[in-house]
Amino acid sequence: MLDFGVLKKQIDLMAVDAKTMQDDFFARIDLALSEMDRWEEPWETLVTKIARSRTSWLVADTSGPFTEVCSRPERPAKLTVIAADGSQIFPDRHEIANCFLINVGYVVLHYGSSERPIMSSEPSLFYEEEDMYHEWAGKRSPVTREIVGVKRNAMELDKVVSLAAQAKEEGRTVVGLTDGTLILWMLEGKPYDFRRETLQTTLNGLEQLRQLRVPIAGYISDPGSADVVNGLRVGLCPEQPPDCDRCPWKAAEAQALLNLDGEEQQPEPIPCEPIAGVTDDMLYARKLKRGERSGVFRSSSKILEDYGPHRICFFYVHTGWEIGRVEIPEWVADDCELLELVHITVVDQAEKGRGYPVVLSESHERAVVRGADRDIFFKFLKDSFVKNNVKAENSLKQLKKMAATV
Amino acid sequence: MALANVDIEEYIGEVIESSTSQFVAESRELNGAPPFGAFVKTGGVIPVYGLVYNVCTHSIEPNRRATAYGLTEQELRDEQPQIFELLKTEFEAVIVGYGDDRGPRQMLPPQPPGIHRFVLPCAEFEVKALTNNGDFLRCVLSGNRLPADDLIIASVRHAWAARAFDMPYLVGIGKDLCRLIRDDYDRLSSIMRRISQ
Repeated sequence: MLDFGVLKKQIDLMAVDAKTMQDDFFARIDLALSEMDRWEEPWETLVTKIARSRTSWLVADTSGPFTEVCSRPERPAKLTVIAADGSQIFPDRHEIANCFLINVGYVVLHYGSSERPIMSSEPSLFYEEEDMYHEWAGKRSPVTREIVGVKRNAMELDKVVSLAAQAKEEGRTVVGLTDGTLILWMLEGKPYDFRRETLQTTLNGLEQLRQLRVPIAGYISDPGSADVVNGLRVGLCPEQPPDCDRCPWKAAEAQALLNLDGEEQQPEPIPCEPIAGVTDDMLYARKLKRGERSGVFRSSSKILEDYGPHRICFFYVHTGWEIGRVEIPEWVADDCELLELVHITVVDQAEKGRGYPVVLSESHERAVVRGADRDIFFKFLKDSFVKNNVKAENSLKQLKKMAATV
Repeated sequence: MALANVDIEEYIGEVIESSTSQFVAESRELNGAPPFGAFVKTGGVIPVYGLVYNVCTHSIEPNRRATAYGLTEQELRDEQPQIFELLKTEFEAVIVGYGDDRGPRQMLPPQPPGIHRFVLPCAEFEVKALTNNGDFLRCVLSGNRLPADDLIIASVRHAWAARAFDMPYLVGIGKDLCRLIRDDYDRLSSIMRRISQ
C-alpha cells in the first residue's frame, strides 16, 4: 500500500531537481557539441589520447572523426527482417513446483514480396535438476533470475540463427535484430566457468551468423550511454596522458574538503566536468537528421576482450522519433554492405513501427507472458500434479498473499 | 472431429462460439466471410444450417486497435505484412435448421454446433430444401438482435438465385411474407420492393 501523501512531496522535489538539471544541461550539450567540432580535424590526436588514457568510464574508440555523419542508404526492394524476443516465468519457491518457463517469440517479416510473415512463439519448461541447480566455481547454487535471463538471451539468439539460416537458404537478403545490447554486461565479475560457458554460447551464435553473412544488430531505445561524450571528456583533460586514478583536480577537491577548518580555498573545477552528465543521444539529437547515423565506434567494455572477431561496435541513428543506439559485431561494422543494410533496416523498421522497430515490438507481443497467462500456467501445473497424484501446495507465505485477513 | 465428412479445401470458417439459436465463426481468410444473407452449414455428423446476419473484421487482440496507414492494400502487403496476421474476420449466423438422414430440416438442432467445427457454404439443394416455403423467415423475424428486414431481403434473394430467379417461387414467398407481416403494410411493401429490385 502506498502512502501517496508522503510520496507526492518526494515526487515534487524530484521534479524541481530535474528542472534545475535540465536548464543546466542545455549549456552542457552546447559545450559538448563545440568540443566535438573542435576535434573534427585533429581526430587522430584525440584517438591517440584516448588510447593512452586510463579512465573510470567507458570511452568510445573510433577510426574516424567523432563528427562523422552518414546519410540514409537505399533499402533493397526485397528484404527479410528477423527478430526473437523472450519472456519468462521465473522460478518461485513459494509456488507449487520448482520450475521456470521461457517463451521465445519470433517474427520473420518479408518486405516487398507480399508473402505471409512468420509470427509465433515457442514455450519451454525447465524443471530438471541440471536446469534448477548449477555449479560455478565449485559452488552449487539454485537457478537465479539472472541465469534465467542469460538462458533466455541464448535461446533468442539461437532462434534468430535458425530462422536466418532458413531464410538464407531460400536466397533472401536477411537482417536479424534483437532488443537491447549485444554486450553481456552481466558477466562482469561472474565466476570464470559461468562466463566461459555463456560467452561460448553467444559467440557460437554470432559465428554462425557470420558464416551465413547475416548481419545482426541490437537496438537500444532511449540509450543512456555516454561513450562518445566520455571521449570528449578525455579531450578536455589537460593531463598527458589522462589518468582518472591520479587526477590532480580530484585530489585538490578532496584536499579542500579536508581543510574545512583552515583557510577557505575554492579548488579549481575539474576540467572534464563541464560536459559530464551529457549522454550521447542528447549530443546526436543535435548532430543527426532523420535517417542519418553517426560513425561507428568500438565499445571499450572489458568483457569484449573475449569476443574475438565478434567484438561489439556501435553507432547512433536518428530514427525520426529518437536517437537509438545500434550495436553490431565488428565483422558487420567492417563490411560496408552489411553496415548499410543494418542502418537502413533500423530506420525503416522504426518508421514502420512509428517510433520503434516493428519486428521487435511484434516479437515482444508474441513472447510476452502476462499475469493471466501465468495464473493459467500454474493452474495447469496444479491440475496435472493432482491428476498424477503428486503433492501440489503453495507456501504459507503465498497463501497468505492470496487471502490476507484483517 | 471437425474434419469428419468435410472437404478441408472447401471450408470458409470455423465455429468459435455456439448456442442453440446462433453461432459465431472465424473466417478462414481475412475479409473472406460468406456474404450477408448466405446459407452456411457446419461440418460434423449432424450439420447445422445457418443464415449469415453479421460480418465483422477487427484486431485479434482487444487492447490493440487498427490505425490508418494511408497506404493501398498492395503497399500494406509489401511494407506492413504483419498487420494481416493481426486482424481477423468473424461472421455470425442465425440457425435455421439441421440435417439428418432425411436431409435438411427446418427446426433448431438438438445440440448446438460444436466449437471448432468447420463452416462451409450450403450446396444448392440444401438452400432449396431450407427455403422451399417461408418457414425460414419466421426464424429471422423471431430472432434477437437481427437486422430482420435486410436479412429477409438478402436470404430470399439467395433462395431465388438458387432457383435461377424463378418468378413463381418469388410470388409464393411473397405470399408467405404477406401472412407474416400483414399488420405492417409499409414495412411489407418496402421488403417486397427491395427483393425484386
